[in-house]
Amino acid sequence: MATTTATITLASTDLLSDELNLTSSATLTAADTSTGITNTSGLSRKTVTGGHGQYTLFDGSDYTADKAHKLYLKNISTTAAEFFLITVNSEDIGRLYAGDWALIPWSAHDNDCDIKIDPSANDMTLEYMLFVD
Amino acid sequence: MATTTANCTINSDLLQPNLNASKTSILMKGGTSSDGLEFMDMGYIEVATGTNFDLLNADNALNKDKANKVYISNESTDETYYVIITIDATVIGRLYAGDWMFIPWGAEDANADIEIQAYTGTNKITYAYFHENRTLTSA
Repeated sequence: MATTTATITLASTDLLSDELNLTSSATLTAADTSTGITNTSGLSRKTVTGGHGQYTLFDGSDYTADKAHKLYLKNISTTAAEFFLITVNSEDIGRLYAGDWALIPWSAHDNDCDIKIDPSANDMTLEYMLFVD
Repeated sequence: MATTTANCTINSDLLQPNLNASKTSILMKGGTSSDGLEFMDMGYIEVATGTNFDLLNADNALNKDKANKVYISNESTDETYYVIITIDATVIGRLYAGDWMFIPWGAEDANADIEIQAYTGTNKITYAYFHENRTLTSA
């Protein structure tokens, strides 16, 4: 069985009067089991060259519904004001600013649950990887 | 300014050669590279089945379309336990026992709450919300 682990560490010495140091590690498994996820899109990059238009990153109809898919995203821009607006089924999740990353659970709940990205400027590049249940 | 870092490390033998990816970002206010997010709400809750609850309420204009970040971890240990995360009633995904998520949250209007519903049994959830500010509700 393949083993994929994702670890997050959130740390700050000055956000609180005491130090914040939170670490959590997850083994990415298929829904309802302890069996590791066995498919991935691989680590990829997409540069949206056609202006500010919205782009479908993953089509909900291409994936089994109500599973434990995970999506990793990273905005590799170095211009602080540049962001990707991330949406699922046309609902805004949030803005991924330059240098930010995200790990999003995605259940591909129905055929309309596409993951779309909308860059705030031309020629922005997103790094992404989907772990498929 | 406060400096808060978020590091993600993903290791996997799904690919050959194996994947070892690591990324650290500093949690900044939207559109800046010199001013960090200075406010955090953090909590631990047990979510019973049967009801879709508001975990984080978007009814706060101070954080509308900002670079807020949300961390949610499902501390349950039974592999069949999970919560469904929705925003404004749109299903985003399932967070199974042992999983965590870290997402940007735009809180773009008063309905864009982050909602959570537990399945199979009572799920144990840790969460942290990093943001720019909030207004307290009058008593």
